[in-house]
Amino acid sequence: MRDHLVPIVMGLVAVGLFFAFPYDLAFLTRVLVTIVLVLSVDLVLGYAGIPTLGQAAMFGTGAYAAGLFAIHVWGDPLAGLVVGAVAGAAIALVSGLVLMRTRGLTVIMLTIAVAAILHEIANRARDLTGGADGLRGIRMQPVLGLWEFDFIGRTGYWYALVVVIVVYVGLSILTRSSFGLGLRGIHDSPERMRAIGAPVYWRLVTAYTIGGGIAGIAGALNAQITQLVSLEGFAFSLSAEALIMLILGGTGRLVGAVIGVALFMTVHHFAAANDPFNWLFVIGAMVLVVVFFLPQGIISLPGILLRHLRGGRDADRA
Amino acid sequence: MTAISRFAPALALGIVVAQAAVAEDIRVGVIAPFSGPFAQYGTQYQQAIEAYQAQHGTSAGGNEIEFIYRDVGGVDPDLARSLAQELLIRDEVDYLAGFTFTPNALAVAPLIEQSQTPTVIFNAATSAINRDSEFYLRTSYTLWQVSAPMAEWAYEQGVRSVVTTVTDYGPGIDAENAFVETFEALGGEVLDSIRMPLSTTDFTPYLQSVLEQSPDGLFVFLPGGPPTYTFTRTYNENGLREDGIMFLGTAETEESNLQALGDPALGLMTAYHYSEAHDSEANAEFLATLRELHPDAIANWASVGAYDGVHLIYEMVEAAGSDGPAAVQHALGLEWESPRGPVTMDPESRTVIQNVYIREVIRNPDTGLLENVEQGIIATVGDLGWDR
Repeated sequence: MRDHLVPIVMGLVAVGLFFAFPYDLAFLTRVLVTIVLVLSVDLVLGYAGIPTLGQAAMFGTGAYAAGLFAIHVWGDPLAGLVVGAVAGAAIALVSGLVLMRTRGLTVIMLTIAVAAILHEIANRARDLTGGADGLRGIRMQPVLGLWEFDFIGRTGYWYALVVVIVVYVGLSILTRSSFGLGLRGIHDSPERMRAIGAPVYWRLVTAYTIGGGIAGIAGALNAQITQLVSLEGFAFSLSAEALIMLILGGTGRLVGAVIGVALFMTVHHFAAANDPFNWLFVIGAMVLVVVFFLPQGIISLPGILLRHLRGGRDADRA
Repeated sequence: MTAISRFAPALALGIVVAQAAVAEDIRVGVIAPFSGPFAQYGTQYQQAIEAYQAQHGTSAGGNEIEFIYRDVGGVDPDLARSLAQELLIRDEVDYLAGFTFTPNALAVAPLIEQSQTPTVIFNAATSAINRDSEFYLRTSYTLWQVSAPMAEWAYEQGVRSVVTTVTDYGPGIDAENAFVETFEALGGEVLDSIRMPLSTTDFTPYLQSVLEQSPDGLFVFLPGGPPTYTFTRTYNENGLREDGIMFLGTAETEESNLQALGDPALGLMTAYHYSEAHDSEANAEFLATLRELHPDAIANWASVGAYDGVHLIYEMVEAAGSDGPAAVQHALGLEWESPRGPVTMDPESRTVIQNVYIREVIRNPDTGLLENVEQGIIATVGDLGWDR
């Protein structure tokens, strides 16, 4: 029961936020989209232990795929999400077949390289992607034919929230399955997993592909809601920020991804709005404090507090 | 969903009422980079806005005007859009302003169209932007506006063959197109068009190839900052200057990094709409107020774009308050004396019609500082790229 409590509370909070901050839906929707992206990083890095700094490659691919699909084929949002997911997964599969043969720093380098190459391709293919000016003219049909995307972003918010919930539930099932347990095993010791006969390489390729599909969904969601795709979808800073948010929240737990994104983006939002000139200091300080005092991320905080309360002798929960 | 649907009209009504009410407080949302490598733009805008307010007060036609700043960091259309949405919905701004980069400006088109918000572009210089919405007004310039006169002037000076070197991104390609098309139409010959990646730090190979082709002139477009410095140095050191290959640029010698360029910059020819050294009363007053507020401030094209943008906003507020369409209507055809010279808001392209000056970098004997000294007006033009 306790396992389900936190996600349910988070869902209720998200519903409450809609009514509490009706003027901030644009920002709240950005948070939801980022949560999907960071959940994908959590699967790849937190569970499977694949060090990646290039998740933007799949995010951007999903965004361009969904954007182009909406412009040239069909403006249905759900179909667009599927297209985004497939495109993201396809890029992850193709690059993953090579990447998963390497380890450690090499993987990081290659993930960055894949995103950089795609960035340049999108930049060069101006006729198709609009290059640096971005892909515009995306007009979405109503969700399920019922809800029109509106100016204030109400439909966008509910739509994104449902996608987040579906992805979250899907990932909780996946990470509890034998496949998910296998990934944890590989994370801790690939050698041991290989020794007991697990197909480590293919497990990693699969995890990377699923992660790519989810990142593709995040990209597609972003393209549909903002009606815009830009080269920034492939930017290194996007991959890096996603990683920072995950580390802030805590890797290897889905809740960590959600909390990390919510915290980082909220602080970012308020700091940047209140002091558009020096807000980066606040962000830097927050990241430093968390990394120093809570190396396991924010989600380890309750466990640490509990241990202190019980005199430090009780079972370790973190 | 009933709660939401009941809520919707109320919210929409709130916005309409806020806009229709007799305006007392006008809010202007400024979206610009205030952090990161492009923070200089934000600083230039802010200083120019403050200078204008120091000169003209904080109200126009009895309406108090407040500026709200939002940091977009750099090229980030998603964020620009979401900031604009937030400014329009939560902060209920009546005008938007700023916009350094073309993609960011383009991203808000559907929003300003729907909310009928006049949006004053302080910098973004791609012609295509203003086609996306009737509510864009531009007080900067377009690349066509300065590059085409440069081509004409070069041809008049007897330059018959040119190699163009531009940075490989939107504005660079615009500049290249403008120059090549104009120059070839006159009968000049473009020997080669080189596009250099945005991240280039060593220009030697490109300039070596220019040297080998030995054209009469070298047309350049680079984003301001370190690349300009390296490029001009390389131009001198590799003997292009000695070889008599004339440097034909636009914003390369802009004021914020002109002193850093040092002696290699002497004699460089550029065509541009604003020089800090422009000799006029309006410019002297602007500079005096600016220096009073910020002793170290430097005025460049970004400053003057913002200064004139604020002037335009004041004019619109005075005439129409928060009524967007009426404000834009009032702005069209408006004429005023800017620190850069006389300007007119072109009713068709909604970009200012202005003088383009040919300038040479010269060391001022009194101050010992480098200046873009205007040698004359080479054109008075609107956005030449509007019809392309």
